[in-house]
Amino acid sequence: MFDRRLLECFDWGLFLLTLSICGLGLGVLYSAVNAAEVQGMAVIFKKQMIWMGAGFFIMFSSFLVHYKFIDKASLLIYFICVALLAAVLIFGRNAGGSTRWLALGPFTVQPSELMKLSMIIVLASVYSTCVTEEGLGFHGLLKPVGLLVLPFLFILKQPDLGTAMLILFIAASMTLFVHVQKKVFFSCAALAAGAAPLLWFFVLKEYQKARILTFLNPDRDPLGAGYHIIQSKIAIGSGMMYGKGFLKGTQNALSFLPEQHTDFILSVLAEEWGFVGCCVLLILYFLFLLWGFNIAYGCRDMFGSILAFGITIMIFWQIFINIGMVMGLMPVVGVPLPLISYGGSSVITNMVGIGLLMNISMRRFLSG
Amino acid sequence: MNPPLSRKIARRIRLVEIVFGVIMVLIGARAVMLQLFNVNKLADKADKDLIKTIEIKGKRGNILDRHMKKLSTSLDAVSIAAAPEDIKSPHVTARTLSPLLHMEESLIADRLASNKKFVWLKKKLSPGEGKKIKALNIPGILTMQDTIRFHPSRELAAQVIGITGWNNRGKEGLEFKFDEILRGKTKKITVKKTTRQSTQEMTRELSGNSLVLTIDKTIQYITEMALKDAVTDNGAQSGMAIVMEPDTGDILAMAHYPLFNPNAFGEFDPNNWRNRAVTDAFEPGSTLKIFLAAGALEQGISSPDTPFFCGNGSYALGSRTIRDTHAHGWLTLAQIIKVSSNIGVAKVAQLMGKNKLHTTLTRFGFGNKTGIACPIETKGTLMPPAQWSIMDTAAIAFGQAISVSAIQLACAVSAIANRGILMVPRLIRAVIAENGTARETYPPKVTGRAVSEKTASSVTRMMASVVQKGGTGTRAYLPGYGVCGKTGTAQKAIPHARGYSDNNYTALFVGFAPPKKPRLTCLVIVDEPRKSHYGGTVAAPAFKTILQKTFNYLNIPPDMGKYSSNIPSSPVWGCSQPGSSQYANMGRR
Repeated sequence: MFDRRLLECFDWGLFLLTLSICGLGLGVLYSAVNAAEVQGMAVIFKKQMIWMGAGFFIMFSSFLVHYKFIDKASLLIYFICVALLAAVLIFGRNAGGSTRWLALGPFTVQPSELMKLSMIIVLASVYSTCVTEEGLGFHGLLKPVGLLVLPFLFILKQPDLGTAMLILFIAASMTLFVHVQKKVFFSCAALAAGAAPLLWFFVLKEYQKARILTFLNPDRDPLGAGYHIIQSKIAIGSGMMYGKGFLKGTQNALSFLPEQHTDFILSVLAEEWGFVGCCVLLILYFLFLLWGFNIAYGCRDMFGSILAFGITIMIFWQIFINIGMVMGLMPVVGVPLPLISYGGSSVITNMVGIGLLMNISMRRFLSG
Repeated sequence: MNPPLSRKIARRIRLVEIVFGVIMVLIGARAVMLQLFNVNKLADKADKDLIKTIEIKGKRGNILDRHMKKLSTSLDAVSIAAAPEDIKSPHVTARTLSPLLHMEESLIADRLASNKKFVWLKKKLSPGEGKKIKALNIPGILTMQDTIRFHPSRELAAQVIGITGWNNRGKEGLEFKFDEILRGKTKKITVKKTTRQSTQEMTRELSGNSLVLTIDKTIQYITEMALKDAVTDNGAQSGMAIVMEPDTGDILAMAHYPLFNPNAFGEFDPNNWRNRAVTDAFEPGSTLKIFLAAGALEQGISSPDTPFFCGNGSYALGSRTIRDTHAHGWLTLAQIIKVSSNIGVAKVAQLMGKNKLHTTLTRFGFGNKTGIACPIETKGTLMPPAQWSIMDTAAIAFGQAISVSAIQLACAVSAIANRGILMVPRLIRAVIAENGTARETYPPKVTGRAVSEKTASSVTRMMASVVQKGGTGTRAYLPGYGVCGKTGTAQKAIPHARGYSDNNYTALFVGFAPPKKPRLTCLVIVDEPRKSHYGGTVAAPAFKTILQKTFNYLNIPPDMGKYSSNIPSSPVWGCSQPGSSQYANMGRR
């Protein structure tokens, strides 16, 4: 089963990019965790190391299976993930007002993270069979929408609007990627525009509305809903050109930054490494995404191409939403920064995704 | 895959890449805006809203005796203040606080009703009392960490150590002079408003330095007790006594009477707070004769055996007549000192001339500050010789028309004991940091040579005769040790008028022992004794008591000064045990 040619085609570029981003992430996390006076943070760094180690292991494991087998197993994976999501709603562990985690021994798993990947796989699998030159019609969208509904509602129920919307964005991007008929596109756009007010009045919870209002005017409630974003902007702003230096960020050290090791980790980077540090990370991400799209471009079969696109776009949306949030370009939504934020499930999901990208990349010269 | 579809996909990927490139640029632009342009606005915000600055004050350092025993220290205390704006009901609050603050209810109520933003209610309560008030948790009542100065041995050496005021600043004495060194440093630190950081470690680091004195607590006590007896037994007004080491200039005791308790200094007459031995000058009377004798020998005017005619008790000089208490005929210089003849020294002084007498006195340090580390030291009064009349020259010889401080006199006598070398009186041995390391040490310092060694030993012999049979100071004689001394009985000048009082005297005795190898110099001054007024009767017994007990305490056996080495060695740098003369290798860093 193992083909030696695989090794020759190993995607070193993608691997090194991943490694660099992970290394940078660990550095920033070390500072975020150690400079703070909060007790019990030190263990977080160790845990993240373990997760990253596991992530690389899983990444390598996911080369071995040809992605065509994944195509075949897509529905199975999908249902396992749906089951896990259902389990979360029943047995899940509550933290910070929402139920997102399943306890597995000392670690906790966030099935909604895994769902993102599973959704991409199952959509790639579905679209690869029904894609046509003239684009998808309403009929062709039935199956994907049907697959989307259940996970979306489950995640919304947790509640985790960020991940739910992220899955929606990924699905929409993938659908646009495989091309839809013009009439379908415009009706969907109209539907989305019409649904927005409904969403505001019936679906969004008070704190979520507050976040959006705060985004529009952060000084509305500087010590409440606006606190995160103001503190984050202060931290980023105070980093200036070259930053305050490793472990020297005052906003970070004085624990002004909320969630400085998870969703707001970018502000630690920005404070301590300044504009230069931010640029380095952005360039790394930029190269990474181009690489991903290039894999989608170079892949010779439909499933691989859509899957590669889906994974890349997933990482793109996470980066965009997170950075947009931290920099005050978007409302606060709990989306981690890929490979930088602390969080086991996020690391594993992204690593598996990258593994699949490599898997596709390595086999592009092999005959199917 | 069919080619057109593939082409389409390729086109779409390009499109996505462009869109995505634009978004990246957008993010980059945002970063530029935040990090490179909005900077000041954001940084200001960080400071203003969520950070507070608190002031941490270090404790004031200790004042220690030569064996590191505490003479003055700082204890934790709590001061109570109020923000009247936040007080809901001044009367109810006043009623609650009154018993805890030991204050009148109405007084508290008045202060709480004030329209100031901040009022003090009571300063320096004990930590326990502070805790009780804090536990009441009354809004607007503030409990603040403070320290209180405490003198564990109450009156002991109080005038030397001085007073620290309610604001923790030195007010008198060494506390005043060395306020900068003793004072705890203050540091402002920035913390989160919600923080509960411990500042204990920082407070320790900010502690002031401590002073190590040359004073020996025990000798100080011996001296104070002897002085107290001398003053009270003789119905005197006040008294002073100094014990010092002649060879190092170390002040071992500096006592004053009346005493005062610096822990409650407000209850005592402020006139008793100051270190009179340094700040006040007086006419030294006959004690000055020894310096005249030293000058006469040094300048070759006379030898100890040169006879002078002492006029049988009366000697007319100009318009005045000088008298002796006992009539004497011919006396040698040595005898003049022994019986303390005014006429005798007047004649020696005339022979010597005013310039030489002035030079001698200046060499012994009169008319100049000794340099002791005490505030407001007096120079005394030594007029320039051009202003001396013939009468002045004679009067100065027996200690009138000149004023000196006690420390000047003790140092000058020590110079004779120290083979003619005048030392700077040393009161501070070292300044040490909170952790015990020395910041600064002060080795003994020489002022200069007053007279030759030969002259010093001649004068020493004359002074030894004073306490022997027929001398004026027999009551100072210490069996076994031998004593060199000189009595003084100074008529006090009438304040705000010319002339001297017939009733008010200052009785003095100054000397050192043992004669062969002097270990201690001691000066006792009793002001305005009533029962008797002679230095030999009033001051000499106290001198004897002080020396006897101190020799005992220092384990110096009565074998005429042979050095005994079973004295416990001192813990501090560059300092000798009292009585040791090995200052040559001490403390020279």
